[in-house]
Amino acid sequence: MKEILESVKKDPSYLNLWSAYKKIQALNLPAPEDERNTVRLAVIGSTTLEPLAACFDVKTRLEGFHVETFVGGFNTYRQEVLDKSSDLYKIKPDVVVLSVDAWSILDKMFLANFVRMSVKERKAVQKELAENVLSVTSNLESNTSALILVNNFVVPVFTPFGIVDNKQEVGLKRFFEGTNEILAEKLEKSSRVFLVDLDNIASSFGKSRITNWNTWYRGSIPFSDDFTPILADEYIRYVIAMKGRAKKCIVLDLDNTLWGGIIGEDGIEGIKLGNTAPGIEYVEFQRSLLSLYNRGIILAICSKNNPDDALRVFREHPSQVLKEEHFAAMRINWQNKAANIAELAKEINIGLDSMVFLDDNPIERAQISQVHPEVLVVDMPKNPRLYREMIESLNVFDVLTLTSEDMARGEMYVGKRKRTELEQSATSIEDFLRTLELKVRINEVTDFDTPRVVQLIGKTNQFNLTTRRYTDAEVNTFRKSSDAAVYSMAVHDKFGDEGVVAVAIVKKKDGDWWIDSFLMSCRVIGRSVETAFLAKIVADARKANATRIIGEYIPTKKNPPASDLYKRHGFGMPSTSDDNVTSWILNLDEQTVDVPEWIELTEE
Amino acid sequence: MTDLDNKLIDILTRVFRIEPDEIKDDLKRKDFEPWDSMAHLMLVSEVENEFGIFFEDEEVVDIWTVDDLKKILKQKIAT
Repeated sequence: MKEILESVKKDPSYLNLWSAYKKIQALNLPAPEDERNTVRLAVIGSTTLEPLAACFDVKTRLEGFHVETFVGGFNTYRQEVLDKSSDLYKIKPDVVVLSVDAWSILDKMFLANFVRMSVKERKAVQKELAENVLSVTSNLESNTSALILVNNFVVPVFTPFGIVDNKQEVGLKRFFEGTNEILAEKLEKSSRVFLVDLDNIASSFGKSRITNWNTWYRGSIPFSDDFTPILADEYIRYVIAMKGRAKKCIVLDLDNTLWGGIIGEDGIEGIKLGNTAPGIEYVEFQRSLLSLYNRGIILAICSKNNPDDALRVFREHPSQVLKEEHFAAMRINWQNKAANIAELAKEINIGLDSMVFLDDNPIERAQISQVHPEVLVVDMPKNPRLYREMIESLNVFDVLTLTSEDMARGEMYVGKRKRTELEQSATSIEDFLRTLELKVRINEVTDFDTPRVVQLIGKTNQFNLTTRRYTDAEVNTFRKSSDAAVYSMAVHDKFGDEGVVAVAIVKKKDGDWWIDSFLMSCRVIGRSVETAFLAKIVADARKANATRIIGEYIPTKKNPPASDLYKRHGFGMPSTSDDNVTSWILNLDEQTVDVPEWIELTEE
Repeated sequence: MTDLDNKLIDILTRVFRIEPDEIKDDLKRKDFEPWDSMAHLMLVSEVENEFGIFFEDEEVVDIWTVDDLKKILKQKIAT
């Protein structure tokens, strides 16, 4: 297996991917014990999709997953989707790709007759075409819990109207663009259905090359040998995002990376950085990095330089786009970069596997790859004019939902850096917490906060008492139930707003309040806000005349930071059940939990 | 072994997932399980791409052995 993947990694051509797929299928491998490493794929649609499925399958394996793949029959997707006992559902897919060719739905004479159709007719057909896909999609959504990836339609290059196509109210191109627009609109709100912009990917690749007409007419294979792996790469982005494997942080070198030249030798006037050539390529690269920062990607610096020389550029150079405030952490020194990166990961508190390293020097890159194979070390182009294109086509930062917390993540980490500096200067921990001016807002979860709450439930590992993962639907069931409550907590201090960072799910039973889940993002650990959170739950329980609060704890490899939460807050009598759940009890008659005096509870 | 033979063997080994020495001229589509319809399609299009030619539909149907493929390919390249 390893051997097969190694060889395809070296040359991921279409034939090699397909060949690897066939070889792996023949091995009949058992599924791994850890479910989290398995991805079940289904690829269905109107054409012969085995080659696409093969590429998607093997590329998912190259990301380190065990894969099971179902490939739908030729144009049998409707039956597969409607028949709940079909093989599509038997594999319980995690990801379903729906690839429907518009021409398989449209009338055979559609193209020939399009020019003679009235605008009204065109719009009616357009609606019907979109409806066709949407009805299949909605069935898939209700019959599975999978992520559903729907290809949009490729806007054709040819139109019988020629150059006056867009002088028509609904020209042929606008017909397809409009259909795609309807699909995008209808699917925008779904948390599980994603419209894959096939039209855009095809344009980027070259529409004239996406089909091999020989294999199309011979075997209804929709995509050419060269394009099929490219499209599979696009699906991989969703798998990576779904599995929480996205990169979160870019570690940047300075000289010849953020600007041209060497600051220590060329001086602030001598480096290439400006709004005209030479130097515009670096400014534009920085703007792209800033766009990622504004989306929530953390930036850090790792450079061999005298800190004073380097920082002068950030403070004084008129064309410098990125400022000190954009960096969550910096290592500007003469230490080796592998050690610096390890320190950066620790300081920012993220895994090395969430980091991307950008450095123009191949020797530095080789060292990082060797010492920290988890870090994504990008093979930077030699030509700085290609830096921007490199970062814009990296596609490793995808997430499935983008909350306001995500977007502000960059600022939050900068706040963290300032907090750390303050902590180091404070005389005691209490003194430090007092100067932070902490404010927390705790309430039952609102519709607005639900996506963030579901996201936290899905990804929090360290400060998570029970690590129970609940879906969107399950959380909403708890919210509606009178025997349960879902709390969220937002935290704010003088360095910034962290947004919603903690979740608790309480189940009420016979006068007892059971804390089924209690979790908090690791970035607010050490600020005693968990005490405020517990105190609020205790106060609410008291108001509801509950007698006891029972907190559950299930140990995992990653959650030792949370292990003593209940003990620290006066819960006693721990008992452990057969399934390793420890229950801690707080008798409300005798004990309570108070909000620390340095934390202010605020209302909505 | 000509360059053409080598290129062809390379394609055949990858399409059928076998070693070069297992490829015999009399390998038959009917008796060889990996040579299913999908593999046949794959084989034909890879050969087309590699040699910059195209096969007629009848020719595709008439390729029954490795030898058939070689013959028709040589004939195409010669013209």
